[in-house]
Amino acid sequence: MNKGFSETLPLLDFDRELGLVELLGGVNKNKLFDSLSNLLGMPFCICTSKGEPVIGSREANMKFRLPLRAEMETVGYLETPTEQVDKTRSAVTLIELLLHSGARYLMASTLHLHAVKEDYEKLQKQHLALMESEARYKDLAENLEQRVSEQVKTIESTQLQLYQAEKMASVGQLAAGVAHEINNPIGFIQSNLVTAQSYVNDFAGLAKQVETGVEVDTMQAYLKEKDIEFVLEDFQGLLNECIDGARRVSVIVKDLKGFSNVDRSEEEIIDLNEVIQGVCNISVREITKHAELKLNLANLPMTRCKPAHLGQVFLNMLLNAGKAIKEKGEITVNSSLEGDRIRICISDTGSGISEENLKRIFDPFFTTADVGGGTGLGLSVSRDIIKAHGGEIEVESTPEQGTSFSIILPIVS
Amino acid sequence: MADFDEEANRLVLKLVFYGPALSGKTTNLTRLHDLLQPELKGEMMVLETKNDRTLFFDMLPLGVTAPSGLLIKLKLFTVPGQVAHDSTRKAVLSRADGIVFVADSQRNQSINNAESFENLADNVNRVGLNIETLPLVVQFNKRDLPDVLTEAEIMARWSKMTWPVMFASALEGQGVIESFRELLTQVFQSTDSMIGLQKSHGLDQEQFVSAVLGEGVGHE
Repeated sequence: MNKGFSETLPLLDFDRELGLVELLGGVNKNKLFDSLSNLLGMPFCICTSKGEPVIGSREANMKFRLPLRAEMETVGYLETPTEQVDKTRSAVTLIELLLHSGARYLMASTLHLHAVKEDYEKLQKQHLALMESEARYKDLAENLEQRVSEQVKTIESTQLQLYQAEKMASVGQLAAGVAHEINNPIGFIQSNLVTAQSYVNDFAGLAKQVETGVEVDTMQAYLKEKDIEFVLEDFQGLLNECIDGARRVSVIVKDLKGFSNVDRSEEEIIDLNEVIQGVCNISVREITKHAELKLNLANLPMTRCKPAHLGQVFLNMLLNAGKAIKEKGEITVNSSLEGDRIRICISDTGSGISEENLKRIFDPFFTTADVGGGTGLGLSVSRDIIKAHGGEIEVESTPEQGTSFSIILPIVS
Repeated sequence: MADFDEEANRLVLKLVFYGPALSGKTTNLTRLHDLLQPELKGEMMVLETKNDRTLFFDMLPLGVTAPSGLLIKLKLFTVPGQVAHDSTRKAVLSRADGIVFVADSQRNQSINNAESFENLADNVNRVGLNIETLPLVVQFNKRDLPDVLTEAEIMARWSKMTWPVMFASALEGQGVIESFRELLTQVFQSTDSMIGLQKSHGLDQEQFVSAVLGEGVGHE
């Protein structure tokens, strides 16, 4: 960068008072001297107001002088030995025209330099500002990639937290139902086992009689007294009920386990019907308070997917359907094969969604539930999951008639 | 700032005609050149381009002598009004002792007037002067044209300001001297307070104004 401008050009004021020497600075003095000599036809001297000769030399005989004016002021004199008014006045006029022209040039050129300097400094400042801004952008560009990847990481981790939070919320809604579903079999298993214990005591009494070798009559009286025939039959029944109860608990636990951890979201090749079945199992208690649940599942090919994530979607749909039915209604889950895609349709005959809300139901944090009643993330997360599987989710709804969600997933082998 | 050269016994005052392009700054100066008859009147220096637009400045030098013998030179400058010449305007404005802001009265020029006045305020500030204390007269020129703002409209907008507002038709020579007289009054007061024109040089305000305008001392 050239900093030298102001240093090499000490700028004078353009409107400074100009002296004779300066004003005649641009004039060829020899030519002016020759020309004036011809005009005057006698020796002459042009000197400053202080008497210093500028053109011609001052001789002792130059007794006559006329002032030379520039800008109303006398800046010098024309001195001659004799007074020839016509000639000297003409010469003065000529010289004054030159002085005026000189002033015009000096003022304009100095002012021009001022303007150029000013513009140059402005440009320098702008240039500096541009360089700074360029450096900023360069810096930004260099760091952009890193910052984007940091942002992506933050977003991904936030999203995972949101998924987890949403999952916890829906699991929370299930908790009571699931607890009942587990408590119920455990309750009758307990009561059956207490009864079974008394039956074992009865058999123990019989065993003692056989050991001590009592009479057959006594033994028969004992069998009749204890109604062993009924006990045997009932005992069998109790055990069957216990086995069935334990199986029910184990199914629920298995379904819950398959569903419980979003982080553990490995891909598996599975039958989607099993996922639907599992979700229905753990949510049936919650959603069938007022509604009847109907499953209409077609045979589906195996497909590669993340069952834990899809389970979360189906659960969401089912819980929403359950909430939509306030008194009496029906929830239907259909699965069908459409070419190379699987369609799963979850419909309810509930209260439906208004046209206005329908536009926003997939927006994050949009909820019509009261504060604390829903995260507003269920459908948003569901849509993300379906998109991540390369699928689509559609909704149709008629207020007061019901809502139908369709999930279309590609078959991946 | 008034340039007082004690050795040469000379005071130079710089008065600048500022304003938007084509508002009549040069016309003001030409009329003053024709109308004023001060003690000393130099040749008007005009630097214009082929299409009559001021390129650098115009300059009219006037001079009066105080009773003390002090020569008071007044250099009247115009600036180029075109937006592009801002650096030139700023350079001309430096060390000004007074300003006539020549505005264009035509209705469609209000925005140009406002922008130019804002530019004046900026530049006054940039050259280290204070617009609050600098002698300044606002002249609404071109009163002879049709479709101009009425005086009432102009006053409604400008009377809140502290500066006197004058009306002129420079082309017809009306209001030009009045605007200049108003400026001279202010300039005398600020200069007097600085170097004591009255006290040290025996020149009072009325004498000063009359001498510059060429009305003869004591002329009412």
